[in-house]
Amino acid sequence: MKKVLIAGASLTKVGDHWNKSLLDLAVEAGSAALKDAGIAIPDQIVVGNMFSGFSSLQENLGAIIADSLMLQGTPALKVESSGASGAMACNVADSIIRSGQANSVLVIGVEKMRDMEPNDAVHAASLGESASFTQFFGISQTAMCALLTHLYMQEFEISRDELSVFPVIAHKNAVPAEHAQFRKAITITDVSRSMPVSDPLRLLDCAPVGDGAAAVVLCSENGQTKNAEAEISASAASTDSLNFFQRDDMFDFTATRRALAKALAFAGLSIKDIDFAEINDSYSSVAALSVEALGFSKRGEGVRDAKEGKFDLNGKIPISTFGGLKGRGNPIGATGVYQIVEAYRQLTGTAGANQVKNAKTGLLHNMGGIDSSAAVHILRRVG
Amino acid sequence: MSIAYWRERNRYYRILGSKCKECSAEFFPPVYKCRKCNSEKLAEQEMPKEGKVMAYTLSRDIITGFEDQEPMIIGLIELQNGVKMVAQIADASADQLAVGDKVKAVFRRVSVNGEAGQIFYGYKFVKIDK
Ligand SMILES: [Zn+2]
Repeated sequence: MKKVLIAGASLTKVGDHWNKSLLDLAVEAGSAALKDAGIAIPDQIVVGNMFSGFSSLQENLGAIIADSLMLQGTPALKVESSGASGAMACNVADSIIRSGQANSVLVIGVEKMRDMEPNDAVHAASLGESASFTQFFGISQTAMCALLTHLYMQEFEISRDELSVFPVIAHKNAVPAEHAQFRKAITITDVSRSMPVSDPLRLLDCAPVGDGAAAVVLCSENGQTKNAEAEISASAASTDSLNFFQRDDMFDFTATRRALAKALAFAGLSIKDIDFAEINDSYSSVAALSVEALGFSKRGEGVRDAKEGKFDLNGKIPISTFGGLKGRGNPIGATGVYQIVEAYRQLTGTAGANQVKNAKTGLLHNMGGIDSSAAVHILRRVG
Repeated sequence: MSIAYWRERNRYYRILGSKCKECSAEFFPPVYKCRKCNSEKLAEQEMPKEGKVMAYTLSRDIITGFEDQEPMIIGLIELQNGVKMVAQIADASADQLAVGDKVKAVFRRVSVNGEAGQIFYGYKFVKIDK
């Protein structure tokens, strides 16, 4: 089996890029990643993006980005899996390299959210839910998630304020991260006093709206131009029913758990080998359900572990090491690629103030819908 | 939107879902294969119109076209046949509602298409007074 090495990486700051288009952001990140890898012409381009057709009236992203990078002739396509689009773009690139079809693949995750009016952005973020039975009735993904949050709190006797531990961790880690959208620490009181969005979820429970692009160059051993310092040990994905309330167990993120099991088996690792994790902390409750599905916490105990410091930057399993979706920001289809770039920095010792000590193995978790799509990557330091 | 709305009208007007001819399991929204036994032998089945509230939220997270309904109460409802569905709860304020409340389906205006002025109708739920 071929190895998949990370040859180069780049990202833009997440936030309000009023002066930059979807294409501007994608080209900026893609061009910088190719330079970082020392590769002029990749064999393939894969773009992770959720709703460019809705936000920017632009599809055919593969061709327009290849053309803009003066890479006409390079095969290029877009991969979409709602919020997991970025990770699924990496998953496709990983397969292309392992199959031997390409020795180098440029993966770009990009999303442009701020060109939309706020209510259109709510709709865009809800496009992964049913058009006929959710969107038609004006029900947003956040509202769906709020219902699950109520049930989760009730089932495990967790209070509203207890959930706030996750955004507090995320914001703390975002403070020193130059590319993060919100570099401001928050308290549990800040969360409970923030604007109600869809109770019990408040503004500071929810990942923000922002623009951004991130890119990595993945290579086989034959494709590298310099000795790579990190590799993708496993890339796995799974799915579950679109509606969380149709599942046998609403409190089990089964797609995540299945993707995790596949990834660990492929890499020949156990969860105890993981040094840090970038999790899909799009909502406080989703963060809790995610650490539980990933096996870092027992069922219903994610919040308790977080309160005890298990997930802090210097804890047993640091999570969201640059702020996660909540603090770094969540340019939706780009987020999975941001996670890869951030893990690459951890593994190569270039994470600065966000550095996790002795980081050798990282786990990345990206989710579409309310765990209807999930992808897990395991990255390791090489050598 | 208009054609899709016309195609789905019986789903919206009558809460028309599916029933498995093999194992009798019922589903809404309708399914292509039975989610219990995997059978493709399915019949159309109207859902019961009463149920109880499992959870509800007062949502200010509003999609374009629903601005005039902000804030909306969205509920997770368990129908009398055990089918769970998410729908708007109308004619109530959040402080008048509680988990376990009995609700019934009603036929209401869902939204108005801005440009054409076409009105879309469908199910919502209201509390049953005792
Ligand atoms: Zn059946």
